[in-house]
Amino acid sequence: MSAIEQEHATAVPRASSGATTAQYARKSARRKPEAFATISYVTVTLFGLFCLVPLWMIVSGSLTDESALGLNGYSLFPQPFSLRAYELLFTGQSLLNGYVASLFITIVGTILSISCTASIAWVIARRLPGISRPLTIFAYIPMLFNGGLVPFYLLVTQVLHLTNSWFAMILPLMLAPFLIFVTVSFFRQMPEEILDAARIDGAGELRIFFQIVLPLSKPILAVLALFYAVTYWNEWFTGLLFISDPDKFPLQLILQNLISNVTNAASLPSSAGDAAAPVYQLRFAMTVLTVGPILLAYPFAQRFFVKGITLGATKG
Amino acid sequence: MTIAKQATPPTNVRRRRLSSRDNLVLALLALPGIVWFVIFSYGPMAGLVVAFKSFNIRDGIFGSPWNGLANFRYFFASGDAFTVVFNTVFLNALFLGASLLAGLILALMLNEIRGGPYRRFMQSVIFFPYFVSPIVISIMLQVILSGVGGRGGLLNNLLSVVDLPQVAWYTEPGAWPWILTIVKIWQLGGYTSVIFLAAITSISEEVYEAAALDGASRWRMALSITVPLLLPTFAVLVVLGVGRMFFGDFATIYAIVQDNGVLFPTTDVIDTYVFRSLRMIGDFGTTAAIGLFQSVVGFVFVTVAVLMQRRFQKESSIL
Repeated sequence: MSAIEQEHATAVPRASSGATTAQYARKSARRKPEAFATISYVTVTLFGLFCLVPLWMIVSGSLTDESALGLNGYSLFPQPFSLRAYELLFTGQSLLNGYVASLFITIVGTILSISCTASIAWVIARRLPGISRPLTIFAYIPMLFNGGLVPFYLLVTQVLHLTNSWFAMILPLMLAPFLIFVTVSFFRQMPEEILDAARIDGAGELRIFFQIVLPLSKPILAVLALFYAVTYWNEWFTGLLFISDPDKFPLQLILQNLISNVTNAASLPSSAGDAAAPVYQLRFAMTVLTVGPILLAYPFAQRFFVKGITLGATKG
Repeated sequence: MTIAKQATPPTNVRRRRLSSRDNLVLALLALPGIVWFVIFSYGPMAGLVVAFKSFNIRDGIFGSPWNGLANFRYFFASGDAFTVVFNTVFLNALFLGASLLAGLILALMLNEIRGGPYRRFMQSVIFFPYFVSPIVISIMLQVILSGVGGRGGLLNNLLSVVDLPQVAWYTEPGAWPWILTIVKIWQLGGYTSVIFLAAITSISEEVYEAAALDGASRWRMALSITVPLLLPTFAVLVVLGVGRMFFGDFATIYAIVQDNGVLFPTTDVIDTYVFRSLRMIGDFGTTAAIGLFQSVVGFVFVTVAVLMQRRFQKESSIL
């Protein structure tokens, strides 16, 4: 019921602004097209190309035979076409290991992050006297001041002993104070009547949170999931610090290794560790396979990101 | 930076007293988060004592002997201190200015594109680089600047088409602040434009209708209505960026520059310097001292920024 109301509340202004935009389109269509509009089309299109061309060069390079890559260093069209790099990657062990590591970190990390973020945000959002206010400050201070790299490094290696564990790449990123506050502001928009109705029916706090609040919060949970998942997938700094066993490298770290050892055939992620391996083509193919999952999820996920940014901006 | 607005009075219902059991349940819900903050945020703050110690692993963080301000003296006496501090602030200022300007211009121009599907498509395209990891950016940049075999690259081939001399970009420190700025525009232009577009949609359509009746062109409206009304949003974003001014963009810069010492004079920021002195030299005391210096100055920046933000926020329609 309230979910529908909320949908309505957000849909109404959008619809009305859409109508006025349409009016504008009609008005400007009657006039001759303005120079500014034309310039806008051209500039935005050029900027779009500027964003896409580097990505395309990687994709194209991954499909180009090593002989051509060695001549030009890049390729705008996959010619001569070759799938050798992908064949090598898919028959080798290292890509599989990388995917297992990246998926573990992303999935376990995202689940932990969402649970902790939502639950601490709910306690803050409840405005409990003597609890919520101190908790807000407690979560806010880390946004202003931090201990820096050395104490953090010593904490993970000397105190928690997480060297070479995937949890060294999960735990440090588990909570983002900014996302906690975005979630708090979402929770505070929740209609009070529903919660009251549940209380009158005798539901406890735990039940209210799990059976009423969370099901009504799917939009914000999706936003959290996506922001955290991308962070975990792209993370490599903690990997650089704490993971030294190549068998445990996530994809980003394998790529990092490829940058720093360009000519070292032994570090190549393929079954063929010999000199004849298509070094550059392999690098591109590996890059494509690393960005691939994000690229695939992007069309479905993008609106949530826009929503998250706008929510963070408006309510933050 | 976000709690400023939450001062609306709580409703009476929420004020109602909770049973002690309910309080316990809620405390349990918050517990994992609290434990995390204690370990990963407040723990390292206590660990900052290392900055005043001659640290060795055997004696540990609290057992190592004190050595006063020697760590700080060591850092500031080395010629590096000025370079990395300057680079951090200078590069961040460049990145902030460039990405905000690019975002603003893109938002104004996207707003002119009336074809719904095309506009949505372009918005998705220019937003995508935000999700590309720094390592991947680094690989793309190598393709453009140096090619795979170190010969040429796309940019040099373009230069040779117009008869300009080839440049070995990775040995040319002077060019890198600008190269990194272009990378930042690529990475953040679309992201920033989303924020500005959200602010644009919250501007009342009546203002534009009135301007249209007066015969104003779209360009005129963009310049005299949209831009002034976006200024508070712009100001808030500037202030937020200034708050982060003392923290270098480690991920992007280290992924691209790696350990290429030729480029350090113009690209080495506090964060990359700290990382290297920890990993290569293993000097915990000095590194922690630099970190503490960064945190304290950074704290001043952030606090000033938050105070300024509260002023601008009242005027900003969106942020």
